[in-house]
Amino acid sequence: MTSFYWERHPNGPFATLIEIATTYLEPENYDLEELKSLARRDDDQEMRAFKLELREAVQDPSRLPGDELSRSVQYEDGSPEAFLHRLWHDLYGDETP
Amino acid sequence: MRTRDSLETDTRVVDAPDVPREMVEPQRGQVLDDPEKRREESAESRQQADGDWERGPFKAPREELARFDLKRAGLPDMTIESAAKYIDEHRDSRPWLAMADRASPEARRIIAALDAAGGHAHIRHEGWVSEEANRRRVAYREDPAQLHPEKRSLGIDGLRPNDDRHRSGDAATRITDPDAFATAFVRGVAHPRVREALERSVASDRRPSEVVIPITDLLGPKGYRHCTGWRLESVDENIDKALEDRSKWITKRAEGRKPDVPEPQASPIPTFTGGAIVFAFARNDSEKRYEVVTMFPRPVQPQQADDHPESVKGAR
Repeated sequence: MTSFYWERHPNGPFATLIEIATTYLEPENYDLEELKSLARRDDDQEMRAFKLELREAVQDPSRLPGDELSRSVQYEDGSPEAFLHRLWHDLYGDETP
Repeated sequence: MRTRDSLETDTRVVDAPDVPREMVEPQRGQVLDDPEKRREESAESRQQADGDWERGPFKAPREELARFDLKRAGLPDMTIESAAKYIDEHRDSRPWLAMADRASPEARRIIAALDAAGGHAHIRHEGWVSEEANRRRVAYREDPAQLHPEKRSLGIDGLRPNDDRHRSGDAATRITDPDAFATAFVRGVAHPRVREALERSVASDRRPSEVVIPITDLLGPKGYRHCTGWRLESVDENIDKALEDRSKWITKRAEGRKPDVPEPQASPIPTFTGGAIVFAFARNDSEKRYEVVTMFPRPVQPQQADDHPESVKGAR
């Protein structure tokens, strides 16, 4: 299997979250600052979808598809819960998820 | 795209003289006396024993490489001669250029152009990176591009500013032959999905997502044998835990304290059969466009269950 989750399941659960998190946070091409800038675009439909999915994932990480997020993003937080909470805080500060 | 040299107009020739491709093997005695060389030898031996690495040269499609329009990938134009000059002038400060000595002149032109531009694929994912360097990258997050030994051992990135920490996922991989590397790049850049990414507007769009192309499409049915890599070993069958423990271990060691988690372990990736080459993109602000910032082989990924719950739909 060579394709990414969001290519196999373009309308699947959390596809936008996993695709954008991978694109900016995968270790070979990591750029959190650029993702922060992108996250400030309130007029961007894709980033609104990203925020919505991130919020849903923070509230209930058990709904994430398998280990797709972990495998794609390769975070060092130890669990999807820890990663998602940190990412929310990094991007949206103290706003309630 | 920034260039460090003024480059002459392209006057490519296909039949330019090649340089010897022999590698200088260290004397056995030198290897045994030098701990660093012993580690290098050990990693190479493990990779040879556990992987299906083909150490013979890749048969380069030299005419295809010679025809490649560097500007199509946003690279500075170079001739074979100006590429050789560039490599000679920069090999002391940019030691990864030494791997171009084993390349055909046509591949060398592409590697020199990549180096003059902004990408780092050839620095971290090509033959200059040894098996031991990749093992240490994935086990200890040591950056092969970091030329300062102490900074490398502290996990400081060699290419990012401000002594930022280096990042590595659960695998560190490379294309071992410079001709195979250049061929993968040339064919990848011609792929419609990579073209679409390179032609995306930087003004209105987010960064293009990574593109994966099967190794067979780029390097042929045996191309996977020119790829090697090391994978971080799981902890309690959990790769999340292994990545977390590695981070803790590196932090404690950098602080001079005794780590309270086991030392990270890495193993050779047994095969790249069925694998892919990943192309990643980043904005080039000076040229106001996207470029291939890195390219690396990825072994086949385990199949995931495709019956994801439909209860949670993203607003796509």
